[in-house]
Amino acid sequence: MSLATARTDDPATGTTARATPGKYLTFSLASEEYGVSVLKVREIMKMMDITVVPQVPSHVRGVINLRGKVIAVVDLRLKFGFEAKEETDETAIVVVEIAVDGGTILTGLVVDSVSDVLNIVSDEIEATPAFGDRVKTDYISGMAKVKGRVKILLDLDRAIGWDARMSA
Amino acid sequence: MSEWDHGTAGSDATSDDAELCMLQADPELAGMFFTEALDHLGSIENIVLALESAPTDVRLLNDVFRPFHTIKGNAGALGITSVQEAAHEVESLLDLGRSGKHVIGPAEIDVILKAVDVLTEMIGGLKRRVDGQAAPDSTDDRRALIAEVERIIAGGSTAAPPPPPVSVAPREPEPEMSFAGFGPVPAPEPAAVHPGASAPDARIGGAKSDAVKVDTVKVDTRKLDNLVDMVGELVIVQAMINEDPTLRRACDERLGRNLNQLKRITTDLQRNALAMRMVPVRQTFQKMQRLARDLGKKSGKTVDVELSGEETELDRQVVEDINDPLMHMVRNSCDHGIEDAEARARAGKPAQGRLKLSAYHHGGSIVIAVADDGGGLPTEKIRGKAIAQGLIGEGDPLSDNEIHQLIFRPGFSTADTVTEISGRGVGMDVVRGNIEALRGKVEIRSVAGRGTTFLIKLPLTLAVLDGLVLRAGDERFVIPIFAVCESLRPKPEQVHEVQGRPQMIQVRNSLLPLVSLAELLGIGEVPAPAHERTAVVIEDDGQRIAVLVDDLLGKQEVVIKSLGLAFAGVRGIAGGAILGDGRVGLILDAAGLVELVSNTSACVA
Repeated sequence: MSLATARTDDPATGTTARATPGKYLTFSLASEEYGVSVLKVREIMKMMDITVVPQVPSHVRGVINLRGKVIAVVDLRLKFGFEAKEETDETAIVVVEIAVDGGTILTGLVVDSVSDVLNIVSDEIEATPAFGDRVKTDYISGMAKVKGRVKILLDLDRAIGWDARMSA
Repeated sequence: MSEWDHGTAGSDATSDDAELCMLQADPELAGMFFTEALDHLGSIENIVLALESAPTDVRLLNDVFRPFHTIKGNAGALGITSVQEAAHEVESLLDLGRSGKHVIGPAEIDVILKAVDVLTEMIGGLKRRVDGQAAPDSTDDRRALIAEVERIIAGGSTAAPPPPPVSVAPREPEPEMSFAGFGPVPAPEPAAVHPGASAPDARIGGAKSDAVKVDTVKVDTRKLDNLVDMVGELVIVQAMINEDPTLRRACDERLGRNLNQLKRITTDLQRNALAMRMVPVRQTFQKMQRLARDLGKKSGKTVDVELSGEETELDRQVVEDINDPLMHMVRNSCDHGIEDAEARARAGKPAQGRLKLSAYHHGGSIVIAVADDGGGLPTEKIRGKAIAQGLIGEGDPLSDNEIHQLIFRPGFSTADTVTEISGRGVGMDVVRGNIEALRGKVEIRSVAGRGTTFLIKLPLTLAVLDGLVLRAGDERFVIPIFAVCESLRPKPEQVHEVQGRPQMIQVRNSLLPLVSLAELLGIGEVPAPAHERTAVVIEDDGQRIAVLVDDLLGKQEVVIKSLGLAFAGVRGIAGGAILGDGRVGLILDAAGLVELVSNTSACVA
């Protein structure tokens, strides 16, 4: 367990930010900015051809070859309920490590564009306000306000963690 | 007697924690201890089985004594008193045995085997706790074991020392058990010779012959798997370079030669890397020997297990995965196949039932055979049960073989009562499923009154597949060659429509369901008339279907990649393959596709 969890309690919603300070890779999806801990990021790639796999939910785009390993690719736009969008030159695949069942698996996430790696300190982390249903709040480990802009920090294991129910 | 105070009830909890601390303090040492101890325990079992037939063989007694002694010492050095204590007890018994002061009879053999089980449980439990997992508490088992050993020692020898070996004419060499049926039933044995004295070596399948040790190195399996993965990546990149169009254009003779050389070396490297994952089936076979012995004791039959080809090597994962199917088959043979002594005597068979486990190469596959000389499958009973279950009709003409195949259906069992060991009816369908998951097949040969043989056929390697690459729409798929019967360009007159859509195709004399691959899998496609496309006839377990695709792109040996948990439920797809251009092609699962067709064609009259 980390020693420096930012325990910022929001008396209004009663939620606590779980996010730990550190380096986060930020990327954009629709008009929002998200961040994931760099410790979980393995690689960033330009968009590539994805082999479609039948009989899976639409946000699971399919599989790709990552230097000899076949990994699944999830479209975060679709996963979070945004409308699908045409790919641009900026569309990228962020390969992350997800903790699942005592092990880790690599998964690719399709994002609109990748921004900077930011060093986020505990002062900048706040608890998650109640959003409504757009993004389920347990996917969010906290909100960071950096230079006036808000980044939504994702708890990847909860957001993307595969379980057997996925493949019903 | 024992020099340890067995302690009060409370003290075990704290000493457990103390042991855990010692192990967690030095993970490397702990790891070595676990691996060595479990290794020793594995090898002790087989020597004990040999000892059972030759209890005064001092060499065997020493061979069993030494590993217990080593385990005791190592455990003591690490402060693991629970293991040290238990090992010490057994060591004492064995010491008395090898100095002739206590005869090792059946009760002693039983308790030594029990000790192996308990120690394995204890050490396995410690290992799991060190890894942070839960493990059952072995305290009771340990205490019971120690008490029993002490009792046996205190009680003195109860077994009479075996009679001095009677000199007897060497046994007639038995006719080889062939798989098409059994040779003439061997004449009943000349009376009353202590079975072990004559030929323990041939019986126990070479436990002693392991004296010839090959030089080995212990390697963490994760490192090995990483190596195999990396070699796999190398092969793929090498193939991509080889096929790169820019390179091909610029290729001159020298470059061409070097590329070929690169390809040759890479292929060799891959073959060698995969070979490193191969292990002999010996250990698994020997586990079956122990199982047969235990089952025999429980049911009052004696089963003699013969091994052949135990040095045959299989992929490590396959060896693990066939363990359960083999156990089921051995159980079936011991429980239902091999008759009790009376019935065997009436049939003119020797009192000891015979079970032969063999492994050998045949064609491009590995075959593992489980053969017994029991009564064979009860064909009429099976037929009756199948009729009762509605699987076949009363008058259906089915050959004996076809009747036998019915035992692979779920829920099938002809045992009149459910015994603790088997007969519960969940066995054979699971067995077949497990084997098919390894891309293998299982066959039965059974002759009434003579015996039953199960043949498990497995591909030589899990990792690589000979496939046919197909294109359907924009996507490419790979189907294992062994599932393909043929491919053809359908002529319009071969295609039969039902309700206005092409549904069937006539291939020579058979009418097969015809379906478009894209439609079957539920991916979009541009419809085209069947006669402008290619039909591939695939087969699974006797059922054939014809699948329409847009193009055949050729044969390719592909490295199989698992798609992972997320895609486990996708039917018709068995995994992913990396194709020559680096993109992923989905590997089709013939059985899954056939199933999909029979589900969807329910609407066809």
